[in-house]
Amino acid sequence: MCKVISGIVRDLHGNPVAQARVYFTDGPVPWSDIATLTDSDGAFSLSAPSAGTYEIECVADGFMPTAARVTVTGDKEIHLEIWLRT
Amino acid sequence: MPSKSEFSEHTPVSNQPEEEAAVKEEQQVSQPPSEGVKSEKTPVKDDDTEAVEDYKRTKAAAAELWTLPESIADLHDIGEASFGSPPPIAETVHGPDDRVQITNTSVYPWRVHASLLITAADNSMWIGTGWFIGPHTLMTAGHVVYIKNSGIPGRDGWVKKINVMPGRNGSTLPYGSVTSTKFHSVTGWTDSGNENYDYGAIVIPTELGNTVGWFGFGVYSDSDLLSATGNISGYPGDKPTGTQWYDSRTIASVNSQKVYYDIDTAGGQSGSAVYRIVNGQRHGIAIHAYGGATTNSGTRITTPVYNNMVAWKA
Repeated sequence: MCKVISGIVRDLHGNPVAQARVYFTDGPVPWSDIATLTDSDGAFSLSAPSAGTYEIECVADGFMPTAARVTVTGDKEIHLEIWLRT
Repeated sequence: MPSKSEFSEHTPVSNQPEEEAAVKEEQQVSQPPSEGVKSEKTPVKDDDTEAVEDYKRTKAAAAELWTLPESIADLHDIGEASFGSPPPIAETVHGPDDRVQITNTSVYPWRVHASLLITAADNSMWIGTGWFIGPHTLMTAGHVVYIKNSGIPGRDGWVKKINVMPGRNGSTLPYGSVTSTKFHSVTGWTDSGNENYDYGAIVIPTELGNTVGWFGFGVYSDSDLLSATGNISGYPGDKPTGTQWYDSRTIASVNSQKVYYDIDTAGGQSGSAVYRIVNGQRHGIAIHAYGGATTNSGTRITTPVYNNMVAWKA
């Protein structure tokens, strides 16, 4: 079973960013080369294929790309807050 | 040669089982492409890549793997409060990013590739890529049509629908958007979640493939593939929304079920055709499915994959 990484994407004013693309760019094992879109609340959830350290990138039109590194262990769900700059 | 159990993992399944087609037994080597209705044609180059203005193919040998710059090790840990700095690269891009944007997406072969907007069972939204193999049928990754082992309640299973946008260029949809609710995959993916069987198909209710055309596909030997140039065009999420990007490189390695390459991709390109150009014709050799730290990979079109593609081609 995959490890869940969920999160919220916001602009620097704290407003949720919808339709941002979120996807893996590095990990200990191959990852599905698909991207999820944030919903109207800026929320997303991805599934890491195994425990380990992953890099996640978030891109939205009008904002600078932003990356986050996260380590998933066990079955604990990871929650992120990603802030996008213009 | 695949074992008997490997063949059973290629048992086709559909979200509309009553319409499931039997695998055809013909063992043809390849299926031909179609260029659809007449349009301006994009030429190919002598090195079996697409002739795209300003595109320069990287010819580095597979053994000459690029090394990450030390600066990438300085990315902020997720425990820190802010992730404001943009990353220097996306790592499914191996070495310099060679991808070039395709802007004349309304002509063959670019219009064969479709931007996909996927609505999963839990209403989460995803982007991917598909490519036509017939009037109604597009190939894609298995995880585009059927989500497996997500760990998220309500998400796993056949996706609800996919909006198919052939030849999309940003906000321009030269062939509109068609919604599909009919999908195929195989038990090796839907039951086992095995990446060696990560392929599927989307069936659209219109004959749009007759207009945009489709790629051929075939089963090729290891030596054929290892001497081939792989081409990928698709819709990566790290570029402006809905734009198509192309890259090509020599195939790095193969095994009995996968093809590995350093062709640059990013999240959103799952399902893209990995194709070669033979005598000016485009033929799929794999379905792109995975990014990796050192290599990207796709599901190889072996005989059982080929047979399913022939059966799904409509």
